Amino acid sequence: MDEHDSLLDAFLAGDLGSADARRFDEHLLDCEACWKAVRANRVGRLAAQVLRQPAPPSLADRVTFAVELAASARQQELAAGVPGWRRWRLVGGGAVVVGVLVTLLVLLPGRGTPAMPAAVRAVAQYAQAIAPPAGPVRGQTGGRQAVPAEMGRPVAVVAGGQRIVLRTWRLGNMEAVVAVSQRPFPMPAGATGAPGGGMAWSVRLGRLGLYCINGRTSELVAAPVPAAELPSLAARLPLS
Amino acid sequence: MDGVRDNHRDFLDATLPYLDVVWQVARHAARDGLEPEDLVQETYLRAYAAFGSFRGGNARAWLAAICLNAARSDARRRRRRPLEVTGLPLADVASGVSRDREPDVADMVIASLDAKLVARCMAKLAEPQRVCIVLVDVAGLTAREAAEALGCPRGTVLARLHRGRRRLAGLLTEAGMSHGRA
Repeated sequence: MDEHDSLLDAFLAGDLGSADARRFDEHLLDCEACWKAVRANRVGRLAAQVLRQPAPPSLADRVTFAVELAASARQQELAAGVPGWRRWRLVGGGAVVVGVLVTLLVLLPGRGTPAMPAAVRAVAQYAQAIAPPAGPVRGQTGGRQAVPAEMGRPVAVVAGGQRIVLRTWRLGNMEAVVAVSQRPFPMPAGATGAPGGGMAWSVRLGRLGLYCINGRTSELVAAPVPAAELPSLAARLPLS
Repeated sequence: MDGVRDNHRDFLDATLPYLDVVWQVARHAARDGLEPEDLVQETYLRAYAAFGSFRGGNARAWLAAICLNAARSDARRRRRRPLEVTGLPLADVASGVSRDREPDVADMVIASLDAKLVARCMAKLAEPQRVCIVLVDVAGLTAREAAEALGCPRGTVLARLHRGRRRLAGLLTEAGMSHGRA
């Protein structure tokens, strides 16, 4: 690279002082090669800027939720953590427990279910924000059947490698979260089969009831209502 | 436990203002089969996991570097074909035009550019040049920040940037766009 090229690069980078930049501007009037190089640089820069596109409005919500989920998982890990001095005392007992568990796994038929699959935990975590219904649950307003109204924007999240779209609906005096995924939501420990055909299941997690229907897509409804009421609630919500 | 909660709030406060930068980088770094939104989420989760070791330097450059690394890791895992910039809608071009001058012929020609054509020409650039253009011209990083994100000297970024821009202009010319003397 000669001095000429170095000057050109410095000019394009805006690294020249005002006096040198003015001199180079004058040079551009006479030098066809430099003029073309500056011109092409500018065209390339402006053309690339055509590719800018604003971020989708829901992206900030999605990122916030994903980070909150990760923070919550970290909190649970910390809460379940055992102090170092106790760890050694537990090693001996742990070996016995492992032996018993292995024996049980060999003796008992069937496959173990993950206690709380990440996808289900993500939906439950998201639904924690739902306020409990004010007064007795009612899906009617003024004697008429209430129409579900979507609250806020849908939030998409990937949990346990599963892509989930979460929507919050208001129906009468209660709110519910509907999570939709192309892959079936794994059945957590403690879940039981539920009406709804296919591989429907429901489970109670604290104040939340979760009800999953598996069809072409998998839908998981989460609401602070008794599990028995979830199938009828799900039937009144837009699920896809 | 409160520390964790505060930590994630601090993290979001420090990084969410740069979501748009990460988005611009993710859109161009995400290979086939990887959604840019998923790459943005993965970037933020990786950044959150590493936030404890972040020394409060340039968060924009830090996030851009994580996004590029996450895209590379994903591509390595998938072992698919090389980066292809897919169709992108035309954005507001006026924002990219210098305000201290009247728009000239080149600006007007650029304003009429089809973003898909630009994306196709960008895909033909050598990857180091394309990445520099994405970081600086599309995502809005300074050359110094791009150098920090890529772990190379600023001069290298500038050289790749200028060569890439000229090559891009040449490809656009070949594709039918003129940028001769106005």
